[in-house]
Amino acid sequence: MHIGFAYTLIVLLIITSAILTMLILLHRGKGGGMSSMFGGGVTSSLAGSSVAEKNLDRYTVLVGIVWFACIVGLGFWLKLAVDGGS
Amino acid sequence: MLSAFLSAFRTPDLRKKLLFTVAIIAVYRLGATLPSPGVSFSNVQKCIDIMESGATSGVFSLLNLFSGGALLSLSVFALGIMPYITASIILQLLTVVIPRLEQLRKEGQSGQAKITQYTRYLTLGLAVLQSSAFVALARSGQLFSNQCDQFPIVPENTGLPMWITLVALVITMTAGTGVVMWLGELITDRGVGNGMSVLIFTSIAARLPSEGWAIKESRGWAWFIAVLALVLLVITLVVFIEQAQRRIPVQYAKRMIGRKMYGGTSTYIPLKVNQAGVIPVIFASSLLYLPQLILQFFDQNDPGPVQSWVQNNIVDPASWIHIVIYFLLIIFFTYFYVSITFNPTEVAENMKKYGGFVPGIRPGKPTADYLDFILSRITLPGSLYLGVISILPNFFFIWLDNNQFQNFPFGGTAVLIMVGVGLETVKQIESQLMQRNYEGFLR
Repeated sequence: MHIGFAYTLIVLLIITSAILTMLILLHRGKGGGMSSMFGGGVTSSLAGSSVAEKNLDRYTVLVGIVWFACIVGLGFWLKLAVDGGS
Repeated sequence: MLSAFLSAFRTPDLRKKLLFTVAIIAVYRLGATLPSPGVSFSNVQKCIDIMESGATSGVFSLLNLFSGGALLSLSVFALGIMPYITASIILQLLTVVIPRLEQLRKEGQSGQAKITQYTRYLTLGLAVLQSSAFVALARSGQLFSNQCDQFPIVPENTGLPMWITLVALVITMTAGTGVVMWLGELITDRGVGNGMSVLIFTSIAARLPSEGWAIKESRGWAWFIAVLALVLLVITLVVFIEQAQRRIPVQYAKRMIGRKMYGGTSTYIPLKVNQAGVIPVIFASSLLYLPQLILQFFDQNDPGPVQSWVQNNIVDPASWIHIVIYFLLIIFFTYFYVSITFNPTEVAENMKKYGGFVPGIRPGKPTADYLDFILSRITLPGSLYLGVISILPNFFFIWLDNNQFQNFPFGGTAVLIMVGVGLETVKQIESQLMQRNYEGFLR
């Protein structure tokens, strides 16, 4: 298959990875980790998610889907490139 | 039991939470099987087959267990939650050392949120480090102990320059770690149970069927049934001790506020035998895994004296030094976490504020001392129990002298984590259920 296809996908993948990581870091850490495993427990449920948080969720999911699609696409391309006698 | 399950599904908000959790778990498992870009799926499968038929198991057995088999197949979520756990350990230990962090921890909600935010940054930093280390290992073939050199994991004949593939790999795995972290937080936030522990739970549970089948294949039905019986016995014991608690009676004085009467009730403070839960086990095993990781960066084919000593005494799970260190680490972490989670002075202070007292003991400092005494006494059997259950599989190695049991998933660590997380989650579902009706899972 055309090599340009792979380059496009890889560039897209790197860009989406960066955006995805940034978006995830923008989220407010909702306990999640060890701090609430220590038995804090009830702390997080007090604050409901705000509108900003909801929009952030939406964008994250959107970027995540593109990211996922890129990986799957690259996987298929690799299979074709290797098995197809390179 | 079944009716409680049905009513859990009949409650709309609880049903939504359960389904949400299941959906997130499905996404997690999907990502854990999806190979990263540039990694040849078929070659990796061949390599794993070689490893499993070979006598020497990989060094990463425990880590592979934690990531549900995702690590060896270099999938998108290969690192799983390990970086997050390591980052949490580092930050928790640092709070003792760095005064600023200590101050933040005492600040309550906002300070705690800030520490969580630091943990997340550190997680990504660690993820970059670990993913580049693993990619380098996979490239040099050491991930599979050089047994799999005829099938390159990262094929070169793709037409792409190698460095681009490697950069893409590292970036994807780092982003994957971030996604896993986010999934865990989503479960904590909108699902049931603690996200991180639920994800560890799924990874371990995902490997159970295949590992169990491997035992049946290699040893026959009798062994399979014996192992199952043993596991059931251990689970019963674990549940029994996890539920055990000491109840310290507390009497509240009657108070008049306006025209209403408050207090006058007698309750108790439940002190669990194993107050720390499964955290000590997770922490001890991830700390003990660090020397293994460091060893990987050295030349495998020509080990120096220090290196081979570490390999034979600390890394090898059948050696006595390894077992003793693991045991001591677990006991240390149990006390460490109990001291972090339960502050006797604070509890005594709060009780005094609301007019409560333990019968026979003065409020204030004497109560704090009393609670402290009881707590440290009750934690001793708790920590010993955690240690003994966790080192059980190591005795299997010694008795059976068989490498097959290397990553024995029914062993102590895995069973402890599974039962602990399961109980915790069920309890949380139950408390949600209690808001609607009184029948629960646990009696």
